[in-house]
Amino acid sequence: MTHDLKSCFFEVGAGGAGGPGPLSQGKLSEQHPIGWYGMKIKITGGRLYDPAQGINGAEQDLFIAGDRIVESLPQPDRVIEARGRVVAPAGIELRGQVATYGLNFLRLWGRFPSLTELGRLYAAAGYTHVHEPLLTLYTAGYVHRQLAALPLVDTSASLALNLRDLDDSLKSPNHLEELGQAVKALQEKTRALDLRLLEPFVRYRQPFYSHRTLDAAQTLETLTRLALRCELRFSLEAAPEVLEAPLPEPRVFHLAALGRALTNPRRLDQALAHLDRGGTADLGFPCQAAGGAAEKPVKVDLGWYHPLNLTPDAGADAGAAALRLARQYQGPNLAFSVDGPVRRPEAALSSWWARLRDRRPGAGADEPPDREFSLWDWVWATRTLPARLLGLADRGHLAPGARADVALFDLPPDTPPSRWADCIARCRTLLKAGTVVIEDFALVQPDAPKATYYRRTGAAAGPLLAEICQYRSFRPENLWVTDELGGDWVGLD
Amino acid sequence: MICTGCGCLCDDLDLTVAEGQLLEVANVCLWGLSRFFPCKRSHPRKERRRILKPLARLNGRPREVSYETALEQAAEILGAARRPLLYGLTNTGSRAQEAALHLARKLRARLEPADLAFTAPYYHSLRKHGLYWAPLEVIRDEADTVLFWGANPLHSCPRHPVRYSVFARGRFTERGVEDRRVAAVDLYRTEVAKFCHLFVQVEPGRELQLLSGIREHLEGAPGPGPAVKGTRKLAGFLSQGDFGVIFFGRGATYNQGFALLDELAGLAARLGEERPFVLFPLSADFNAAGLYQLLFNELGSPEAPDFGHESGLLTTYATADWGEFDAVLVVGADPWWFLPEEQALALQARRVPVVSLSPYANRTTASARVVFPTALAGLEAAEVAYRMDGLPVVLKQVLPAAWPTDREILLDLAKAI
Ligand code: SF4
Repeated sequence: MTHDLKSCFFEVGAGGAGGPGPLSQGKLSEQHPIGWYGMKIKITGGRLYDPAQGINGAEQDLFIAGDRIVESLPQPDRVIEARGRVVAPAGIELRGQVATYGLNFLRLWGRFPSLTELGRLYAAAGYTHVHEPLLTLYTAGYVHRQLAALPLVDTSASLALNLRDLDDSLKSPNHLEELGQAVKALQEKTRALDLRLLEPFVRYRQPFYSHRTLDAAQTLETLTRLALRCELRFSLEAAPEVLEAPLPEPRVFHLAALGRALTNPRRLDQALAHLDRGGTADLGFPCQAAGGAAEKPVKVDLGWYHPLNLTPDAGADAGAAALRLARQYQGPNLAFSVDGPVRRPEAALSSWWARLRDRRPGAGADEPPDREFSLWDWVWATRTLPARLLGLADRGHLAPGARADVALFDLPPDTPPSRWADCIARCRTLLKAGTVVIEDFALVQPDAPKATYYRRTGAAAGPLLAEICQYRSFRPENLWVTDELGGDWVGLD
Repeated sequence: MICTGCGCLCDDLDLTVAEGQLLEVANVCLWGLSRFFPCKRSHPRKERRRILKPLARLNGRPREVSYETALEQAAEILGAARRPLLYGLTNTGSRAQEAALHLARKLRARLEPADLAFTAPYYHSLRKHGLYWAPLEVIRDEADTVLFWGANPLHSCPRHPVRYSVFARGRFTERGVEDRRVAAVDLYRTEVAKFCHLFVQVEPGRELQLLSGIREHLEGAPGPGPAVKGTRKLAGFLSQGDFGVIFFGRGATYNQGFALLDELAGLAARLGEERPFVLFPLSADFNAAGLYQLLFNELGSPEAPDFGHESGLLTTYATADWGEFDAVLVVGADPWWFLPEEQALALQARRVPVVSLSPYANRTTASARVVFPTALAGLEAAEVAYRMDGLPVVLKQVLPAAWPTDREILLDLAKAI
């Protein structure tokens, strides 16, 4: 197989000699002289979109000192001309399946970019953070190694719990506190940012264990009590049976990748009801190039009831259903995300947004849109809300004090709808922590520093954790993610 | 402690160290002992010689030289080469592998994993059949039907049967071997037969026929001709159970490797229509999985990369023709151990200079023009390695190192060239 070494759609610019492999990955202290971070920048004349501050396309200057956005600057070192351009917070990929265990096998078919390319593609699309949804107890080290090899963008991951490991505790209400501590300890030890459930039930493939089964309703009820008692929150991968189950307290559950669960109008109503009751969700648009006829099945068995399917049928229905939900829902609790391994970050969401934005008859869904989709909505659903959902307080907005992660797009107000997807698929300029990473569509800082974020829960490992680990072939100390397996690390409290 | 004796990366070893000296290692197998003490694999009484100083040939004879001199000479050799080969890397840590890939890029060299002939047919077959994959954690917990094909784990990864595949007590295989059925196919009757419920000894060259016979039986339409002995029993064995795994070893790839793996992957896919069924390569080298992870991550392909190709980068499943190269750098491997004699002689006749990085003297260091002694990963040097199922572990340094690590030397070489 021959490879074009510059298969990314932009060239490496002045700062980009050599490929950014693990050896050239940015480490703040090692590679950048003091003052590198101290640049004062003024972005002038751009149309600002920042839903967090209620700014909707106002022409306004933005000031950056070091890695932060500031109120004003008397004397900037550099002025970036943004007249006629859209200025928005950098993107935050809420569900970027880029480092899942087994995903490398997809590269055998040559249509899945390398991690080096993926990181560049994300930056080119204006993203500075990618959240991997699937890290498990024993794949945590793997996922973090992969995330560390993804250049340019910050990363984080969800710990996907296998409830089979916790079934005894889930059945016994007296152990909720201990269970909560064990889950929190697991989260910290695996350096996960949040918690996720793929199978909100306990089911065994071995008939011998059928007496230990717990159905979704029972499980979700217990998890709600657990979450309320121990201040936990779960991302629940959506499936028809999840929507069917009662969610006693919707704010405890974020419904992830909803599109695939919306298999009939009733489910659409159930999803809307969840959102209206204060729950949050992300849409899970089918990842455009996922699966495909030329590809063979790739399934990874992680000990859940169902194996993980890495070549799911992209399903036009799921896309149409997600579009329908986005058009019908009027509130703020719905983020954009993609479902399935990400190959083309620049195209994954922008094309769906363009379809939502396009109000011509037949332009994206079978019924006329109930709601007009604006750039404001786009910024909210791909920046502001994802940052809030991940607990990244200083991202997703442009208020003074926020980290200076800013993307500039060429999208004049008179752009025809047919060009929208292209225009927001590539940013002209990307600043990450106040550093210009992309300039005039070219990568100028391929070794920009990056970090992996995780939640510091402070929970101690108790006997339940030891019990969970007893079936593993690794000793617990080798299951836990240590500094060497990823980083640079940023622990959030 | 973690043992770097093979791809099992057993992490349950206990070491006794006093005053910077390793006194005892518990839980290790004989094979792994050779990673901790200077003895030969499976022969604890036969010593291996540690290389103490860098060596460079002067008038054809190896002489001890300073590290700087060795570096200078190696950089000169590799820098002047028009067609360099960087070979091995399956028995070194992931950080060293990253440095090697960086160096290969810089040298515009071909990088060839030492076990390419073993893994290439596997990856190739997946492209045609797809795959069902599971880490050893899940296999240990759930696999009840285990077949070794051309694999003798007792020689390539001795504790594999105990920790993961045969005797291991997993969550749903609590009675160990009593909860599993185990079979093996090999050209010779090996020790594995002692614990297998079914052992099929197949004549050389008849493996493909055996496999197609099994497929026919599974489809309920056995062919009219005489079947290879054991066909029916194996088909019966494979069609039962709730979770199956085929571990294949180097024996499956010696002859007709691509065709055989194609059939094996096809068989696993067919069996997988009814139950989880995994096809698993039994890598003997301790960090072969890490090298392929790196190639996937960086280049998007597990094939051997050639940075000297006119297109910029060519990746290929074909093993290298050693006659092409005018300089060779060997790291984490001993290719002279298995290189056909005529090829070794041809390299000698063409005076192809070899640079070797190795903690111990071996056949390759004996033929090398420059030799760098190195610290042992996971004992004298901290590193990262991937278990054969692709899960990484951190290797710790427990003893002071008198030698630089593979990574340090490779980075120094990259700087010096
Ligand atoms: S099986 Fe392999 S890793 Fe385990 S102790 Fe033996 S040589 Fe070491």
